[in-house]
Amino acid sequence: MIDHVEGHGWPNMLRDGAVVRDETRLFDAQDTQFAGTLTPPDEPGWVVTLSTWVANREALRSRKHPVGIKVQPDDDISGLSPSHSGIRQVELQGIAFISIVFPVYTDGRGFSLAQQLRHEYGWLGELRAVGDVLIDTVHYLARCGFNSFVMKDGHDPQQALNAMNTFTRTYQRSYPSLSETIPMPRGPHRL
Amino acid sequence: MYLYDEIDQQLVEQRVVQFADQTRRFLGGQLTEDEFRTLRLQNGLYIQRHAPMLRVAIPYGMLNAEQLRMLAQVARRWDRGYGHLSTRQNIQFNWPRLEDVPSILAELATVQMHAIQTSGNCIRNTTTDHFAGIAPDEVVNPLVWCELIRQWSMLHPEFAFLPRKFKIAVSGALTDRAAVGVHDIGLQAVEQDGQVGFRVWVGGGMGRTPIVGKLINPFVAWPHLLTYLQATLRVYNLHGRRDNKYKARIKILVRDLTPAVFAEQVDQEWQRIKDGPDTILETHVSHIAARFTWPSYDPGAAEVDDPCEAYASTNPAFARWLRKNVHGHRVPGYAAVTLSLKKSGVPPGDITADQMDAVADLADRHGFGELRVSHEQNLIIADVRRDQLFQLWRELDVLGLATPNIGLLTNIISCPGGDFCSLANAVSIPVVSAIQERFEDLDHLFDIGDLDLNISGCINACGHHHVGHIGVLGVDKGGEEWYQVTIGGRQNGGAGAPGSDPAVRGGGAAIGRIIGPSFARDQIPDVIERLVNTYLARRDSEVERFVDVVDRLGIDVFKAAVYGAPLPSNAGVGGAQRPEARSD
Repeated sequence: MIDHVEGHGWPNMLRDGAVVRDETRLFDAQDTQFAGTLTPPDEPGWVVTLSTWVANREALRSRKHPVGIKVQPDDDISGLSPSHSGIRQVELQGIAFISIVFPVYTDGRGFSLAQQLRHEYGWLGELRAVGDVLIDTVHYLARCGFNSFVMKDGHDPQQALNAMNTFTRTYQRSYPSLSETIPMPRGPHRL
Repeated sequence: MYLYDEIDQQLVEQRVVQFADQTRRFLGGQLTEDEFRTLRLQNGLYIQRHAPMLRVAIPYGMLNAEQLRMLAQVARRWDRGYGHLSTRQNIQFNWPRLEDVPSILAELATVQMHAIQTSGNCIRNTTTDHFAGIAPDEVVNPLVWCELIRQWSMLHPEFAFLPRKFKIAVSGALTDRAAVGVHDIGLQAVEQDGQVGFRVWVGGGMGRTPIVGKLINPFVAWPHLLTYLQATLRVYNLHGRRDNKYKARIKILVRDLTPAVFAEQVDQEWQRIKDGPDTILETHVSHIAARFTWPSYDPGAAEVDDPCEAYASTNPAFARWLRKNVHGHRVPGYAAVTLSLKKSGVPPGDITADQMDAVADLADRHGFGELRVSHEQNLIIADVRRDQLFQLWRELDVLGLATPNIGLLTNIISCPGGDFCSLANAVSIPVVSAIQERFEDLDHLFDIGDLDLNISGCINACGHHHVGHIGVLGVDKGGEEWYQVTIGGRQNGGAGAPGSDPAVRGGGAAIGRIIGPSFARDQIPDVIERLVNTYLARRDSEVERFVDVVDRLGIDVFKAAVYGAPLPSNAGVGGAQRPEARSD
């Protein structure tokens, strides 16, 4: 039996500067326990894969409880745009959050996907980093536009919150310093 | 010399604190070996054959006397009294203890130095012409642009975990001394209609798959330099291969997509971010330019009679040094001087702590306290009055730093090889020594003329063997070390060379061709000698260099000379046993 609960029993998530519990569950159409259903029940806390979202967009968008969408680093994120529109724009309606998976923390594709979602697709909602998320990477993740982080085992979310302050100055102007993304003491910006 | 502002200083200090914490967590068992590996690599720390190796950044090869004294102190206190200058214009210490590294970094930060991004799959230290800012053939001074790229690439939040390492080189002169053709991105600064901009080569590199870079944009105007780099890196970060580390460099992506398609994808990405917040403004450039100190040259220096010719006429040793180690300068009355770290019997690029201190004093007395590191692993005192050259030469000679071999066969570029590096298939330093001994006769060496001889202990090509006029590569065959020889490589074309860029005379790098089956270690000096003798017999004049003859005649005549008669070998048929490997 595959455990479909994504979250742990203890608070392992950092969201907008607060330590909370991740209580989401993944709906995986490939999993036998979901056999015969195309979409998860209309309850809070469900996460779907990008392919489930693309295949059932209209049904998922009209639910009472919006779903999270889980994006793998090799997914084609143009699937988040309205079909056949050719525009790079995420529909806001019906999406609770978008999470991007880091299979290993050294796989940096998620940083660029986050930048594209924020600046090209106009996604202003919650952007979540999941997978191999370390105390040592949350600072970069936050500057690339993530505002929630499900920490890997052994990486205390409170320490991760402190690590957001590792660098108080920045060089790259198109990536906001953390004072602009989450509530933090404000540090001066480069130039 | 660029001087840190408060922000630069604070970032470096905060990195020291972060790394100290990471080291503490690793030693305390809170970070696993796997987690710590990449974090330490991003700060220049390898676990090597004997001990950790710490690589300290020397941004675009510029160094001042105070920093060199600090490096001497580090070498004495935490290492074994010496350092090794790398082909990326950095310096490496081979013997520090892991526990000491945070303290070393803290000391370095006090003189505006760090080890950030000197290894790992991130944007590495940007390199440039070692005569940047002083070269007589310079079109655009690349230093301010290098500093802009340094700042932009340092602790970059999006590009810290690329598919593979990423190296940028910038050239601003007619002769490309930065080897822009063999970098992930090579930038050639040019002027067009009175505006500075950059020709952009992408996907060059050495290593396992040597390729010369492709020109993907003939002119990116300076305000757009960083957004163009950002677009290029983003395409690579998203689409570069991550399934096979040997196919993960940008050159493979460019080759697989074709340069035209790659350029098109970069352009699409660029159009979305162009004119965005990372667009460079005049104020950014002037802010950085204002933080560079430039030597206050004595206008009277040009008026003084140059005594060098007189000294040279009576002193052949000085004459030789003057010919090979002293270089032209854009300011009349001044010269740049290369301090050769290629003395016979000393590993190429190695410098002792005492030499560092002495060189720092010489730089203070004779050169405004400024130094450069060349990718050929030598030190340069950049601004010396010509009427002080004789005095400087005498002092350098005492220090063993006046070997007159710059540009010549014994100025060998070499990686540390199997004696130190856990990646190497074969040793390189003993091969260097054997070649240097064979070509000890200076008259003969001068007669051979300009010849780049580069040696790498493995296919990672840290010794740049692919672009040596003669390249030697250590290979592993059934646990034995053997050496493959290439000829005809070059790091740039110069005027009129095949493949060189007619607009700027930049580019034109070429990858050497393998002459045949590999050799045992002790055969290498004989192989080099046969190659050289073939060249001497075939050149049309002393002006025609070794590499020119290879271009003109092809490699067959050289091949015939090397393989025609059996080579003597003490080792008989076999190569030497390769050293025990420990990988990182």
